[in-house]
Amino acid sequence: MWLFIASDAVTFGAILYAYAFVRIATGNWTRPFEVSSIVNGIVMTTVLLVSSVTMLAAFDAAKQNQRSQSFIWLGVTMMLGIVFAALHIREWIKLIDEGWRLFQNPTGGPVVVGSTFFCITGLHLMHIIAGVFAIAVVAIKYRRGSLNAGHVESVGLYWHFVDLVWMFVFPLVYLMNAK
Amino acid sequence: MDNTGTSSTPGLKSNALWCFVLLCIVGIEVWLTYLHLPSGTLLSFLLVCAFFEAAIAVTYFMHLKYESPNLAWSLIPALIFVLLLMGHMLPDAMRVVNLRVIHW
Repeated sequence: MWLFIASDAVTFGAILYAYAFVRIATGNWTRPFEVSSIVNGIVMTTVLLVSSVTMLAAFDAAKQNQRSQSFIWLGVTMMLGIVFAALHIREWIKLIDEGWRLFQNPTGGPVVVGSTFFCITGLHLMHIIAGVFAIAVVAIKYRRGSLNAGHVESVGLYWHFVDLVWMFVFPLVYLMNAK
Repeated sequence: MDNTGTSSTPGLKSNALWCFVLLCIVGIEVWLTYLHLPSGTLLSFLLVCAFFEAAIAVTYFMHLKYESPNLAWSLIPALIFVLLLMGHMLPDAMRVVNLRVIHW
């Protein structure tokens, strides 16, 4: 799992680096995020951080072979992941309603603002959704006894990595583009 | 697959405390944003905060602190190398801003 995380980190690192390069190289960059978007981002960050704590609780329970307890904590982590995804999609809908698209900037500024935002946050959202599915599979199989605590740890590592990526996405994409 | 040799990992209270620390760093990032600093200064501060958060997450949430030192030695030097390469290329972006396309 560490090798997979390293490769995924390189992917996100390359995308965020490309975004930083384009952002610096574009003189009239549009800043689309109002206070409501930043507040939404803070709530999303809180939800994701709490989900990391619940994932750690699931692993602690799994280490002590408390399968039911671990299953519950994994379920809570999944719910928090779904809440994060819902908040994220709500933010997307708000921006799309304002006229933002992959290749459209409603203010008349550079269209790359929209494309970088939707691509970076979309890739992260895909990881969140995939993580929710992975946690569900591990939770069900662990409860049945076909998986062990090591599998819970592995899916936990992936979830913490997704959280870690958000620690970079939120300041670079949201806070740097706050109005 | 079972690498649960991390028997000395911290409990829920310690994890919740680190979560609170991370939230405080997020609060600092938001506060810095609304100080309306120059973009370059803000970016530097936000990146420093982000790397602090990443270090806490990797050390305490991903339990790198309790893993074999070989894992840390495998990851950290490679990361530093990649960051140095990125930093070496990024100033080109500032030069691109000043390039002009001449329309004949």
